[in-house]
Amino acid sequence: MSSATKASRIGEELWKTRVDKVNAELVTLTYGTIVAQLCQDYDGNYHEVNKQLEKMGYNIGMRLIEDFLAKSNVGRCANFRETADMISKVGFRIFLNIAPTVTNWTSDNNQFSLIFDENPLADFVELPDDGRAQDELWFSNILCGVLRGALEMVQMQIEAHFVSDVLRGDDTTEMRVSLVRYIEDEMPPDEE
Amino acid sequence: MVVYSFYIFDRHAECIYKRRWLPRPVSTVGSKSSRPTSEASAPGLPATLGQSARTTDDDAKLIFGTVFSLRNMARKLGGEDDNFVTYRTSQYKLHYYETPTNIKFVMLTDLKSPSMRVALQQIYINLYVEYVVKNPLSPVEHPGGIGVNNELFEESLEQFVTRVLS
Amino acid sequence: MTQPARHAAMLSISNSGPNTMAGEKQQSTQHMHTQSQPSQGLRVPSNRKTIYDRHLNRSRSAELSRASFAFLFAEMVTYAQRRVTGIQDLERRLNEQGYPLGLRLLDLLYYRTMSSSTSSSLSSSSTSASPPNRPLRILPLLHLIHGPLWRLLFNRPADALEHSVSPETPNEYMITDNDPLVNTYISVPKEMSMLNCAAFVAGIIEGVCDGCGFEAKVTAHNQPTEMWPGRTIFLLRFGESVMEREKVLERAGVK
Repeated sequence: MSSATKASRIGEELWKTRVDKVNAELVTLTYGTIVAQLCQDYDGNYHEVNKQLEKMGYNIGMRLIEDFLAKSNVGRCANFRETADMISKVGFRIFLNIAPTVTNWTSDNNQFSLIFDENPLADFVELPDDGRAQDELWFSNILCGVLRGALEMVQMQIEAHFVSDVLRGDDTTEMRVSLVRYIEDEMPPDEE
Repeated sequence: MVVYSFYIFDRHAECIYKRRWLPRPVSTVGSKSSRPTSEASAPGLPATLGQSARTTDDDAKLIFGTVFSLRNMARKLGGEDDNFVTYRTSQYKLHYYETPTNIKFVMLTDLKSPSMRVALQQIYINLYVEYVVKNPLSPVEHPGGIGVNNELFEESLEQFVTRVLS
Repeated sequence: MTQPARHAAMLSISNSGPNTMAGEKQQSTQHMHTQSQPSQGLRVPSNRKTIYDRHLNRSRSAELSRASFAFLFAEMVTYAQRRVTGIQDLERRLNEQGYPLGLRLLDLLYYRTMSSSTSSSLSSSSTSASPPNRPLRILPLLHLIHGPLWRLLFNRPADALEHSVSPETPNEYMITDNDPLVNTYISVPKEMSMLNCAAFVAGIIEGVCDGCGFEAKVTAHNQPTEMWPGRTIFLLRFGESVMEREKVLERAGVK
């Protein structure tokens, strides 16, 4: 059984049996108000909003990974390809009930894309028609931060960014994820 | 069985939580609802307040050094996926559980105690993740232990140790 | 597609409310206004995957992880905490974050209650035929909140609905939730014991009231019982204009 199929089964099983659920619209609309609040607080500076969303996501990722591990009880991945399947088929499944497609690997197996057919965070959303938002705002940028925070906690430094979004008029929503390095264990500070 | 103490270390090798229980008086052993009392050293004080009486930061540092070395050696000998689970001395047993995020849970018990690995994992899954990680008022990380020592976590840990493990 | 028009109607209602915070809150409704206008200027995907091409009830019974909500809410609280001076200020800010959500949910509630009243047919043409059943009196509004709103948000009705017994405060109503979902994972430190993060939900209620044309202030209060340590009372205080209108409508026999 391929690691992708295995991950799919784990994800489906967990979603059915281990995940407490809430109404999806509550989550969608709550996320919407967070983005709207940021747009207001940063006075329509969408670059800053992207940055803040990524930061929030990073904080969420650092928490979320613990919930992921507590629920899934999966061990360490053997390689980055396995990690990608875990993210898509288990992680996204249990938190957003979707499984974005993993594709466009580089030959060194350090970079891939996630293609989102569905994105519950962006249900009900249309970007402001101000001539800028569609060029500047990455509405779901929080997800990039979530991946960065979550993977850092399991000793992987990654970089993630969106390259397209249907909200911007693109035909797909695609996130690019690159492995930067594996992180070594931290040692206690020297006493002497 | 008796639980002596319990520690959590984060990925930065810092002790973010420690708790010490003293042996329960003989008369209350076996009573399900009994809470541990600290009769021996600090009369009148609940166990939560008595904890600092003999626990020092040095204890935590020694314990971290011990489990960190043992875990690394176990991995060297048995491969990356090997884990050290417990060791015992003539006085106590130390139980160890580590998450893939490098959080380390350590519990010291008497020698009669069975393996506490599952118990430690339950503390992680049902108490730490639910009451510390998901608590919006706890910071994401816990320098100096802030956020771990919240009421929900401490109370449920107390219950877990006194009711479930006794 | 009747939705944008109804949005506009709702906006005019909420804008006319003599609300002291109206200035601030109007901004967020305006913002939403821009978002919900169909426009010529926006690019759309060639496969037409836009909100107008997908059914509004598509996510009606969809579910997501409760943890996802908890994490988002946690970040909302953390973000709000960075910019506040104290507990009251934090609650005010959480309330403000809930408010626009209330306005939006109201639309969804109208749409859904109408869809279900036209039974089997869920097409948008049939919904435009009947006028929106907007509550005119306080009691139907409270029932809308206690029942449909709570069910939409939390999959169950609220636990109690009461009117103030004091003759001095006939404008006060209380909605009780024994175990608010938003507080599930929150352990409030002793020094902040007054804090109730369900202020966010209070904001949602306020948005719904305002959107219906009932100016109100809504606050969340801890009222723990032994059985329900997280029990929360949402106190709704309706404005004078609402109470006066209420009297007029009562005399006119409007229900």
